[in-house]
Amino acid sequence: MPHTLTELVAGAVPIVVEETRGYWEGTLEEKLLIQKCNTCGHFQMPWGPCCTRCLSQDLGSQQASGRATVYSFTVVRQAIHPDFSAQVPYVLADVQLEEGPIMTSNVTDIDPEGVSIGMPVRVWFDEELEDAFHVKLRLPKFRPQETTEA
Amino acid sequence: MSISGKTAIAGLGVTAFGKLPGRSAWSLQTEAVKRALDDAGLEKEDVDGLLTAPPLAEPLLLHAEQLGGKLGLKANYLSQKFIGGATALALVAEAAMAIDAGLCEVAVCVYGENAKTGMPMLFGRAQMGRGQPPSDDIAYGLAGGPIMEARAARRYMNEYGVTEEMLGSVAVSFREHASRNPGATYRDPLTIEQYLQNRYVSEPLRVLDCTIGASDGAVAVVVTSAARARDLKKPPAYIAGAGVAANLQGLSDPDHYTSYPGARSSQTAYRMAGLEPTDVDVAQFYDCFTSTVLITIEDYGFCKRGDAGHFAFEGNLTLKGQLPSNTSGGMLSEANLVGWNVLAEGIRQIRGESTSQVDDAEVCIVAGQGGFHAAHSTLLLTKETR
Repeated sequence: MPHTLTELVAGAVPIVVEETRGYWEGTLEEKLLIQKCNTCGHFQMPWGPCCTRCLSQDLGSQQASGRATVYSFTVVRQAIHPDFSAQVPYVLADVQLEEGPIMTSNVTDIDPEGVSIGMPVRVWFDEELEDAFHVKLRLPKFRPQETTEA
Repeated sequence: MSISGKTAIAGLGVTAFGKLPGRSAWSLQTEAVKRALDDAGLEKEDVDGLLTAPPLAEPLLLHAEQLGGKLGLKANYLSQKFIGGATALALVAEAAMAIDAGLCEVAVCVYGENAKTGMPMLFGRAQMGRGQPPSDDIAYGLAGGPIMEARAARRYMNEYGVTEEMLGSVAVSFREHASRNPGATYRDPLTIEQYLQNRYVSEPLRVLDCTIGASDGAVAVVVTSAARARDLKKPPAYIAGAGVAANLQGLSDPDHYTSYPGARSSQTAYRMAGLEPTDVDVAQFYDCFTSTVLITIEDYGFCKRGDAGHFAFEGNLTLKGQLPSNTSGGMLSEANLVGWNVLAEGIRQIRGESTSQVDDAEVCIVAGQGGFHAAHSTLLLTKETR
């Protein structure tokens, strides 16, 4: 259990909090869940404490199809956080889910030079991690959609 | 009603910028305050308002109280603000409002830090909060300003056909100004060819597209009523217009990649001042990244959407161009004082004190941007009241 702020924030694993617990639980079942407002039907990513359209706190979720397109991206050549020094170059991307919301993730399984805006991608779930409080989660990441499945 | 022209910046205090080993943030902040008062011809006893921005390296919750204590001040107005790089101009606007509302008469706004040689910049998860976006995105390697901004830059360039040479021309133009500024960190002339050989940090952004990482230094300004400013030592830089705007949905908002809240904050400032983009003689943009400058040029109405790259590449940001900008070298070449050095240069232009002085500069627009373009602030400074 972390004891100091430094220990708590040093790692590169997300920290599961009340607002995001349902999201991360979904990843353990390989489900990408979009937060959905039960009052006005608004879809939002990332999850928050209230609906950003109507401020309702009556929130649920809907499973995403997992299909998305690259909205924008960068090829990171110089890692600033030490956990990523061995991974450069890597692609940090904003992907727009078929359902509308944009989320930040990585595009993997492709030469970084081959990534482009508008490229169709599909979600996959990386290996299980534990946060600072030993809560399990898996990071949703994206890889190019096979042309046959588009 | 409006505060336009009712207050002015009457004093400017600037320390050396760069590597200042052995200097604490407090010593730099207090030096800047002393210099600003001397510049205005005021005594400590004249100051009855203190507004501070906490240093990034040591973001203290009671910074204004502590600094006021070190200065031995009694104040009728006290404030501390942090909205990232938008803080400086928003704090000056707040001082102007406090003075106009009669809460105080002479306000000092100050920021200073020793992030280069002292305590390292601590701006990340500890400040963003656990489990809060975007801090969780560090899991995907989203750590550091260039990675935040590069995605907006990519989308913007893709949408409008902006080239890397166009981005580079911003860095080259501002370096030309820095070469004449003896206090600038980077003064060697830069060419587009050298720029294109510079390495990427986070594509499409190169090292030369990014602000200087951290600088030691401090800036303080004295704000007072226009009437009082006219009786002081230095020519007043009247606060003709101000605006603060934000888009707090981050890059979840598809429109937030190619236009920033500066579009709205500049409209507020222009309207308040009764001025238009064509009235502006010189600009000081918040140049955390070259791409930010191009988007702000469009947000501020100096170019049609998508045209700022051509505008910069044609040399319009230099002294010979249509919109001389960041005439001290800005944050790309002078120093990273989180927009405070950009503000200082705006004041120097109105006074005619710049090392890259624009002839007859009567109207200067200054931009501040914070939280990776979530918040934006604008000031219109003028030589005369209208």
